[in-house]
Amino acid sequence: MCLSVLAIISCNKDDGYTGIPEDKPFNFVIPENFPPMAQDISGNSPTEQGVALGRKLFYDNKLSRNNTISCSFCHEQAFAFTHHGHDLSHGIDNLLGIRNAPAVQNMAFQSEYFYDGASNGIQLLSIVPIHNPVEMDDNLSNIASKLAMDDDYVQRFQSAFENGEISSSNILNALAQFMTVMISADSKYDKYVRNEPGGTMSQLELQGLDLFQSKCATCHVTDIFTDSKFRNNGLPINPNLNDLGRETVTGFERDRYKFKVPSLRNVALTKPYMHDGRFGSLESVLNFYSNGVQQTQNLDEILQQNGVLGIPLTENEKQAIIAFLKTLTDETYINNPLFYEKT
Amino acid sequence: MKTAFRNTIIAFVLSGFLISCSNDDEENLDGTFGDVELFFDNGMNGDELILGSAYSNSNDENLTVNRLNYIISNVILYKEDGSEYIYPKEKSYFIISQESNIHEIHLEDIPAGNYTKVKFGLGVDEQRYLQGETAQQEFWDYATEHNLTWTWSTGYRFINFEGTFTSSNNTEPLNYQIHQGSNSETDNYREITLNMPSSARVRNNKLPIIHIVADANKIADGTNKIVLFDNLNTGGTNASIMGGENLIKIAANTMQMFVVDHVHNGEGSHD
Repeated sequence: MCLSVLAIISCNKDDGYTGIPEDKPFNFVIPENFPPMAQDISGNSPTEQGVALGRKLFYDNKLSRNNTISCSFCHEQAFAFTHHGHDLSHGIDNLLGIRNAPAVQNMAFQSEYFYDGASNGIQLLSIVPIHNPVEMDDNLSNIASKLAMDDDYVQRFQSAFENGEISSSNILNALAQFMTVMISADSKYDKYVRNEPGGTMSQLELQGLDLFQSKCATCHVTDIFTDSKFRNNGLPINPNLNDLGRETVTGFERDRYKFKVPSLRNVALTKPYMHDGRFGSLESVLNFYSNGVQQTQNLDEILQQNGVLGIPLTENEKQAIIAFLKTLTDETYINNPLFYEKT
Repeated sequence: MKTAFRNTIIAFVLSGFLISCSNDDEENLDGTFGDVELFFDNGMNGDELILGSAYSNSNDENLTVNRLNYIISNVILYKEDGSEYIYPKEKSYFIISQESNIHEIHLEDIPAGNYTKVKFGLGVDEQRYLQGETAQQEFWDYATEHNLTWTWSTGYRFINFEGTFTSSNNTEPLNYQIHQGSNSETDNYREITLNMPSSARVRNNKLPIIHIVADANKIADGTNKIVLFDNLNTGGTNASIMGGENLIKIAANTMQMFVVDHVHNGEGSHD
């Protein structure tokens, strides 16, 4: 009797540890109000094991040179995967970067990554923070050898990938699979456009949506709220950083001071704002667009129409737009246990 | 073992001789395969490339080359009748490196026949790049070992051509780095088609070697002239060419960088 109970318990306990667990496609839904994916994920479709591995890697300090910094260090779930409370994000050895960590959400629906477009492929983008000397300062083959000493990783890579290898490509693939399923599409606004329960917007929010569509949606297009393009929005140049933006990647002076249009999903959670995190509130951002836009090199045409710099806005209009922007907060996303740290 | 091999060769040579006496045109190659080697012989404007040596160019600059590595990809071979053989894409990414003494690309299991043209890509095509590492296998790691990747952005360097230069403007040598590549703004991957002066005869018992001369001088001194001194950084210490119009000009220059000098139709050894 005792023996048979033990046997049963040990069977249960063994689950997932003896042999290689079955893998199957990760079940995720593309929201009906979303545009088509901007990334071709056919060569690396998310699987349950792949996503779980990607999540473990996302939260693992081993992805940095001295095992102190994980992706989640600068991308915290509660703040839509941004670096809360930091204008410029800091990384390894407390070194300071030159930019504010962008949100990680709806990545497969975007065609460019980072403020300067340093990568345009979801499967390769993790190379950038992993190698950046002020972020994680490691390299993929070194990380692969660190992970290979960990039995749990050995088993997880075997389950997640056909060739079972702990390799640079599989590390990148697992992270890409995790980022592919990080979809935020359950805000009040989403429910409103999809006619779902909980989607009742107030008069002010609806007025804000209307204003947003006429004044902001040229760049913040679709329900991803970005055109993935690079634009100079007329921020005064910070002489201490003199960040050239997109020019750093392309080498064209016509790209100087251009930065990627960010998605506005969960924007109420992702302060501070702008590529260098200079604004601490949405009020400051809208004050900038109405009064602060400067005529700098390559200023976007849209922000200098009819000889007027910026986007004219009254105080009431600003309040309405902010009310609307707050409807983009997605509590489901920031609380989704699928994206929690799990050890 | 070696003697046995020699004997085999002699036997092959003899039998080849006999066959060619009888009916060379009727040679039935159907269903047979052989290997081919592309040999990349790096030079500078007609001279042999020796790392550490100085070469003058037509821009009145004197370049000491310390590194020349590049990526060759997507090889296609054309027969005299115009039919093509596309080397399997997943195996078709290679590195040529002067410092690591890698000059050869060995292609296996090519359908037997007489090939008269070769096409290859210089760099990594965008389609393959965007498929990520699944498609590239471990090519990223391999390219990183040979200084052919960027990490501050996620791209391959198609060519890494580095050294120092002097000119009438600077008698003290200054560093230059020419890193050719694509970014999400400009696709600088190019495909280059070369005619061969004689055909490469692929047979199951032969190893034709297509000897390609690569003139690295053409990178900065081809149809488009890129004066290194004009590309110095603001500190005036270094000419780094890794973006903008220069990469488009270099892409055009590299279309003229390669030529098939000759083809060996022997059994293998190459000098």
